[in-house]
Amino acid sequence: MVISAKDGLKLVGISIVCFCAVFVCTFFLNFYLDVLPLESEVGEQSQAIYKAQLATAQMCCGVTGGVLSIIAAFLLAFYIKLYIDGHATTLGTLKALGYSERRLAVNFCIFALAVLIGCTLGFGLGHAFMPYIYEQLAIDGITVNITFRPWLIALLIVAPSARFAALALSVARVAPRRSAIALLRGGAESAKPSKPDVKSKNRPFLTEVAFKTVSANKLLAFFVTFSCFCFAAMVQMGIGMENLISDGTAMGWLILSIGIVLALTSAFMSMTALVRNNGKTIALMKTVGYPLAKRTAAVFLGFAPLAALGFAVGTVYQYVFLTLMVNIVFANVGEVPQYGFDVGALFITLAAFVASYTAIVALYTFKLNRTSVKSIMTET
Amino acid sequence: MIKATSVSKTYNNGKVEALKNVSVDIRNGEFAVILGASGSGKSTLMNMLSGLERPDCGKITVEGTDITELNEKQLTAFRRDNVGFVFQQYYLLPHLSVESNVKLGADIARNKNYMPIIDALGLCDKLRAKPSELSGGEQQRVCIARALAKNPKILFLDEPTGALDEKTGRAVLDCIMREKTRRGFTMIMVTHNRNIGETAQTVIEMNSGEIIDTHAVSRQKSAYEIGW
Ligand SMILES: Nc1ncnc2c1ncn2[C@@H]1O[C@H](COP(=O)(O)OP(=O)(O)O)[C@@H](O)[C@H]1O
Ligand SMILES: [Mg+2]
Repeated sequence: MVISAKDGLKLVGISIVCFCAVFVCTFFLNFYLDVLPLESEVGEQSQAIYKAQLATAQMCCGVTGGVLSIIAAFLLAFYIKLYIDGHATTLGTLKALGYSERRLAVNFCIFALAVLIGCTLGFGLGHAFMPYIYEQLAIDGITVNITFRPWLIALLIVAPSARFAALALSVARVAPRRSAIALLRGGAESAKPSKPDVKSKNRPFLTEVAFKTVSANKLLAFFVTFSCFCFAAMVQMGIGMENLISDGTAMGWLILSIGIVLALTSAFMSMTALVRNNGKTIALMKTVGYPLAKRTAAVFLGFAPLAALGFAVGTVYQYVFLTLMVNIVFANVGEVPQYGFDVGALFITLAAFVASYTAIVALYTFKLNRTSVKSIMTET
Repeated sequence: MIKATSVSKTYNNGKVEALKNVSVDIRNGEFAVILGASGSGKSTLMNMLSGLERPDCGKITVEGTDITELNEKQLTAFRRDNVGFVFQQYYLLPHLSVESNVKLGADIARNKNYMPIIDALGLCDKLRAKPSELSGGEQQRVCIARALAKNPKILFLDEPTGALDEKTGRAVLDCIMREKTRRGFTMIMVTHNRNIGETAQTVIEMNSGEIIDTHAVSRQKSAYEIGW
């Protein structure tokens, strides 16, 4: 085996995204299927809520599943490219030995392991949380019995894993189209001399460091943006939904909590990686005598615009999502509720966002500055 | 038989002429050394002869097959079935054990019987070790074992002792020559060390992308007889 299982497991990001997607889809889909036959039992007054719940389940399942699988697919392709660039020498050696491109590409299927793990966990936890969620969503005191559907395993675990294995295979098939010798040489001098950057000369040193930190950590940049996007979109969507479908449905709260979990997980994940990647720079800045504020700014400041971008896109996304839901889905239900952009919710969300992300940065600033110069210099 | 006719190769859009109209003949079972200063085009010639790289013009036939005519897939198959490589930088897979690295060569050639090779190169007590836990000489022996595990018809070595000290270098060279005598494959070794030329049957001397001299060695010396 060329790629170790450990390499496959480094794709935690993909696992997390898949986990979220399957987690959401598992219970919304199961809920939808369990509730569908109960229409006659729901009382006249509760019909609207019932229909709204069905519609929301449908919509959440489709949109969350769709958006997250696209994100996961991009991540996977990105990781494979990263892997191939980072392992050019290995691939070159194998090609020199006579391993064919097809045979090498097959190895990349192991990357789908990350998908399998994420989906399995999502499915498992989705089921674990189901009783609680069902209770929250109950209408008219009707108990909805949870049905375990084995075919959902095929749909939510087996199919995505197989699809991603196929995706990995096809990406890997086209990516290393370089001769063995080019790969071998590329490995030896993989750190390409960076293009002379005229603009960088005019930037102050700290801006320069901040800029480099972001551009050297593209994957992290993505995750920071994604985290802020999730936070903005799902918290506002949760509040919005809670207002739309009043009458004590827990649907809004549910979405809100999923959003927060998703956002914080990716935030913590990217911060951990960021601190790990930059410990050395920071320790060095410390020895040279940069004050704490400047050291911290060098690492985190570059991500602030991305965080703002993620938040903005998330806000727009949830507005479009809810508008669509109100106009398309509820239209079929018959009773279209009033929906407009909720400025109050935006401010509440923004305040919560700033508070929690500042807290996270503060926590990691503490962690980052605890690393001593010596501990870093003595590690190989 | 390996036969190159009027082979040329340039890099950087013709700015660097790495090989200029080079022709060589190497008999089956021969041990040839390509000798020359750094930058004289030795590695380039070796890469052409072994099907790692394509020449700009000229013909290279191996056992009558013109390998410059093969497409990428056929060329990979050609390397799989015919050649073994030993590089100065070893190029071992860092996360694999010694045994797995050798098996990598054996597997592609469908050779199940690779343990005797590991044994012959004195690596039996290092089977489970990772390359990072080995000395340079040991790593190079793993690389040789991996190449030999393919049962190659031709073994190409690019500065195999280039990164080793004298003592280790001699031991590795001795290993190579013992295996060559035992198995009788064709062997082409690139080196800048004139003394190593004395271990070969034929010395092909290069300078500035051209072959300036080819001569037979009157008495082949062992790895321990030559100067270093
Ligand atoms: N991929 C390449 N791109 C540009 N120039 C190259 C490349 N490979 C080799 N050269 C040039 O071709 C010449 C011969 O190189 P090489 O065959 O590696 O020499 P040797 O192995 O004898 O030291 C050198 O001038 C080298 O700089
Ligand atoms: Mg060379």
